[in-house]
Amino acid sequence: MATRSSSNILVHVLLRLMAALFMYRPSLKKYLKGTQGWINFSVGVRTETGSVEQAILFENGKVRVLPYIPPGTSVTLIFASDDDIKEMLRVPPNEVLNMLMKNRLRLDGNLGYVQLFNFFVSLLMSGKHQKMMDKQRKADVAERKKAACNMDPGLRREMAIRRSKRLKAKERDPGVKCLDDPYLPEYRLEDFPRLAEFLEIHHTVKPEICHERPALLTDWFIKNGFETDGEGKPWNPELRQGAALRYLMENRKPIIRKNDLIAGTTTTKEIGVVIYPDSHGTMIWGELKSVPGRTLNAYTISDESIASLHHHIFPYWTHRNFREWVRDNYAKPLSQILDERFAVYFLWKTASLSHTILDFPKVLALGMKGIIEEIRKEHTACGAADGEKKNTLQAMILCLEGVNAYAKNLSRQALEDSLKETDPVRRKELARLHEICAGVPENPATTLDEAVNAIWIVWVALHMENTNAGLSIGRLDQWLQPFFEADMAKLATDEARRDYVKRAVELVGCFYMKCTDHLPLVPDIGNYLFGGSSSDQAITLGGVRPDGGDAVCDMTYVCLKVTEILGIRDPNVNARFHPGVNSDAYLKRLCEVNYITAATPSMHNDKAVLASLEELHYAPEDARDWAATGCVEPTISGKHMGHTNCMMMNMVAALEMALNNGRHPLMKWDVGPKTGSVENGNFRTFDDFFNAFTTQFNFLIENAIELNNMLGKSHGELRPTPLLSSLLDGCITSGKDATKGGAKYNSSGAACIGLADVTDSLMAIKKLVFDEKKVAFADLKRAIDTNFSSDPALHAMVTKRVPLFGSGNDEALGMASRIAEFTHDRFFDHVNYRGGRYTAGFWSMSNHVAFGTLTGALPSGRLAGKPFTPGLTPQPHASKNLLDNIRDVSRLNPHHMNNNMAFNVKVVPGADDTHEEAIDHIYSYAKTYFDLGGMQMQFNVVTSDMLRDAMANPEYYRNLLVRISGYNAYFVTLNRDMQMELIERAEYGI
Amino acid sequence: MTKNPLILDIKGNSLDDGPGIRTVIFFKGCPLDCVWCQNPESKRTVAEIAFDAKECIGCGRCLEVCPEGALSRENPFYIDRDACTLCFTCVEECPARALDRVGREMTVEDIVKAVVRDRPFFNTSGGGVTLSGGEPTLFPDFVSSLLQALKGERIHTIIETCGQFRPDTFESLMLPYLDAVYFDIKLMDARLHREYCGVSNETIVENFVRLKLLCAGRKVVLLPRVPLITGITERESNLAAIALFLKEQGAPRVQLLPYNPLWHDKTDKIGAANSLRQNAAMTTWLDKKRIEACREIFTRQGIEVV
Repeated sequence: MATRSSSNILVHVLLRLMAALFMYRPSLKKYLKGTQGWINFSVGVRTETGSVEQAILFENGKVRVLPYIPPGTSVTLIFASDDDIKEMLRVPPNEVLNMLMKNRLRLDGNLGYVQLFNFFVSLLMSGKHQKMMDKQRKADVAERKKAACNMDPGLRREMAIRRSKRLKAKERDPGVKCLDDPYLPEYRLEDFPRLAEFLEIHHTVKPEICHERPALLTDWFIKNGFETDGEGKPWNPELRQGAALRYLMENRKPIIRKNDLIAGTTTTKEIGVVIYPDSHGTMIWGELKSVPGRTLNAYTISDESIASLHHHIFPYWTHRNFREWVRDNYAKPLSQILDERFAVYFLWKTASLSHTILDFPKVLALGMKGIIEEIRKEHTACGAADGEKKNTLQAMILCLEGVNAYAKNLSRQALEDSLKETDPVRRKELARLHEICAGVPENPATTLDEAVNAIWIVWVALHMENTNAGLSIGRLDQWLQPFFEADMAKLATDEARRDYVKRAVELVGCFYMKCTDHLPLVPDIGNYLFGGSSSDQAITLGGVRPDGGDAVCDMTYVCLKVTEILGIRDPNVNARFHPGVNSDAYLKRLCEVNYITAATPSMHNDKAVLASLEELHYAPEDARDWAATGCVEPTISGKHMGHTNCMMMNMVAALEMALNNGRHPLMKWDVGPKTGSVENGNFRTFDDFFNAFTTQFNFLIENAIELNNMLGKSHGELRPTPLLSSLLDGCITSGKDATKGGAKYNSSGAACIGLADVTDSLMAIKKLVFDEKKVAFADLKRAIDTNFSSDPALHAMVTKRVPLFGSGNDEALGMASRIAEFTHDRFFDHVNYRGGRYTAGFWSMSNHVAFGTLTGALPSGRLAGKPFTPGLTPQPHASKNLLDNIRDVSRLNPHHMNNNMAFNVKVVPGADDTHEEAIDHIYSYAKTYFDLGGMQMQFNVVTSDMLRDAMANPEYYRNLLVRISGYNAYFVTLNRDMQMELIERAEYGI
Repeated sequence: MTKNPLILDIKGNSLDDGPGIRTVIFFKGCPLDCVWCQNPESKRTVAEIAFDAKECIGCGRCLEVCPEGALSRENPFYIDRDACTLCFTCVEECPARALDRVGREMTVEDIVKAVVRDRPFFNTSGGGVTLSGGEPTLFPDFVSSLLQALKGERIHTIIETCGQFRPDTFESLMLPYLDAVYFDIKLMDARLHREYCGVSNETIVENFVRLKLLCAGRKVVLLPRVPLITGITERESNLAAIALFLKEQGAPRVQLLPYNPLWHDKTDKIGAANSLRQNAAMTTWLDKKRIEACREIFTRQGIEVV
């Protein structure tokens, strides 16, 4: 037995104190009991060396402390050292998360129980924690103000000035049938008081945790069983989920928001945070008390919600979630341990797999009724041996019936509301909603307002089944255009048509605002990993039709108008531009909207994306129907289960492991293969070292894929998705759920992070160590290990004397291509649990910042803890000339990026530029980039000064939109590291 | 002259040197000697060595390698330019690029190769190449070949000139391959011109008058440009005289270039004298109201300020 330290006594005393308080103080003791009985679990605390070892056991209302950790302990907190334990006792809970991320504390066992333990700690400490956090926040605010004290207040008017001017279209696209000027320059936000009001709510109302979904589902599962049904027979998972969803849809509260033109809500709150305890919901358990007071993205929570979540909901789900299912069924695999150390990769399947796009045209054309009919036919054709298929089909029908039931409830609610309504205009609107919801989505839609409401109701239902992370809407302009045209054709006068166009803008605006009625649950650690992200409900505009013709139409421009006047982060608007097919006027409008909103839409080169998809052998007409999912990733609309953000892979971790012979420096763990030691001179050529890098990278890829496949299985068992499946081509005919490979097309997509950092680091090694022999590899390694403090001259040399990716240097570009090709090939070699290939993309959400904080200094000269570049964007100092960046990125081969990429460009309009000149410049960059074959491009049209002012004075910038890497966020909601990363991005005057 | 001129820099993505996205080629060497010169490193035709104190990390490698012992931390300009033989050994060695060579010999082919990469951007934006300096017209044969090569690549060309050139060579060797001439007019008074710019303005004024006539026939844009130098060229009397002159010449447009004080550090880098540094007016930007008043002097004469 290891020698115990004085900290051991301290921990023992504290745990004993905790035990006594929970045993004998009734106000605390009540928390030991759930609706299903006592909540039993145990937590161990120890250090890596064994200098501390204690355990606390909660058992049948009793609490005991043991001086050792017994086998079967639910979870153990393992600290790097005694000092780390002492620090944890001193710091607020958000700092503890930082310790966890930085691997000064690791966990072994069920993470839900850590959260429960944290919740118990917060019951004792919440007052003290809140004071600590308030103090921290005050210090933070003071520091921000100090950092930006001399900013010109005129900066705060800049965005309003941009919004005040608008271009007129110089031409009309062939697909524009009704709009006179497709840019719709006559409309401003002020013309739509309803939208302005919703926008005000969006920016001012604090989101609230809503327990409606998990409470109803938990009720149902407690009554009907989860693993086995009432009669003790094993449940068919699809059938179980179908029946539960129908119950949820029938019983959830039908709400029509005040003044809304669209009926239904995802939660019972004005802006709700949906809880999915079957995925990552229990991760908020520890914060139920503290979440209203946390610094970043705080939520309101009612006592009722706390009670329901703690006593009723969470205890039921501690083992029935994806993460714990894998831990329990695969006996803590290495691949999962790596994931939970945060530094090398992150798998999204612990939260969701719904990064996909459903067949909305089918919803609108057939209605639930038509789809149910189709399923019934398939069901009837089943033979006696097709039991599984029948169950799956039956489950789909249950779900679709649930959707109909919810629509009926909404219809009834609209009627009730209309009877109570005193304003005649609103009464008419409610009466119309009563009518609409009585018809759709059960029946085919016939008008634009029916179509929009039908999509929304199905959207709500999908979010009751699946976690709100990246589920995407797809080609909204294409889905709605037929209804717009049909409505227009019925109108007789110009005036009526003008009014209708305005109404269409308002209706689509309401739809966008509806998408903001819910937020994903972000535990505080998520604020560091994925700051500011919303659900990322991607909408995609423009491009080509399945037949290859120009898809830009009236509704493309209506959607762009809405994007412009709202300027909101979610829906995440993406635009396809097909060189040679789509017009320059359309591209110019995209640039204008980017200029006015500062950050949206992101733009894609249709040709390059289609080229990247060739190897997946989609039928050409299907491929042309691609749309962005979540951030930027291509999904074949309505036919493709592509979980396109299944993992975020830190490529730089592989480089660090190669430099350290398989050891990861932050984790202090010799986990990778032994690929050679720099210090011992094992690398004789550059290729020797390149191979070491690829070997380590391959090791990480193999592990991440193994875990993704395990998590995929867990979805099939715990939460198959019959509703989603019923709207994906292939699932009905195959009778297989989408989680099990039922869709017509299958794949899994990775986001690979740090391409520019790895490229530049390898260039530094190649040029200085091997080609020019200016520095010994071991000396470079020593400098890296000291964060270059031992050798500033070497730091200057690697940052200034090595040609970088984005500088226009062919060799650096070749290096980036070589790495991208390897990445693509390794992923593509693997077949996932649904029989599809793995695709690779180079975009980063916000993880270039988070992974950066967990990474030491690099051969490229990037210092320890600093962010990587976003997506595959070149380093800010790669070149003073933006054209070099644009050219290099455009020359990367799309075939190596079949899960797309994110290229960030920060441009700053000149002080004297007119509205038109500024847009012309942005247009020239985008157009040339696409002409050269560049694949994706996204702008931030802001100055660093403006961002600094916003950091110090967030009250003036609540709606300042920025593009991170693939998604949009409000700058003021980001953590400090992410704010600094945006400020320090290269800035090019236009 | 067989030797190629020295090039200071090829700057891509310029948005202020003519229409569209442009690539600007800076030549080294100028016949004028303006006291406010914004690019003091472009005055002399020969190569120089620059030292940027802000970039220096103090590693001392240059001190070790200099064969002449011309570098010293005690020297405020770091380099003893009398002792320096311009061997550039220190430049090669400096890891931080704090020491740099000013002016590199390039061939026409080198320049065209560097510029042609930007052609897709010229095409989408209506941009092209701008020759600047220094004074490109100092090198008529070279510039002529360069312009012909650029025209061979169908690239839009502009020259920025101080106007001090031999009209016959300019007209025969350069003008035929130019789309626009940006012609600086600094001071109308010949005496003041000599005082501030080192030479009289007679040739410049004559060249402008000639060029005005020639350009009209050739569809070449001739754009007069006036730098607004605080207390020197921006004085009311000077601007009024220029405006009157332009009106007489029938020039429809003028561009005003407001003074910016960012150049002071550049004189330190190349160890050049700088008598204006102590002058408070010369270390601040020209204020917006003053710029507006300057514009008005021209608009009053019916000349559009672009």
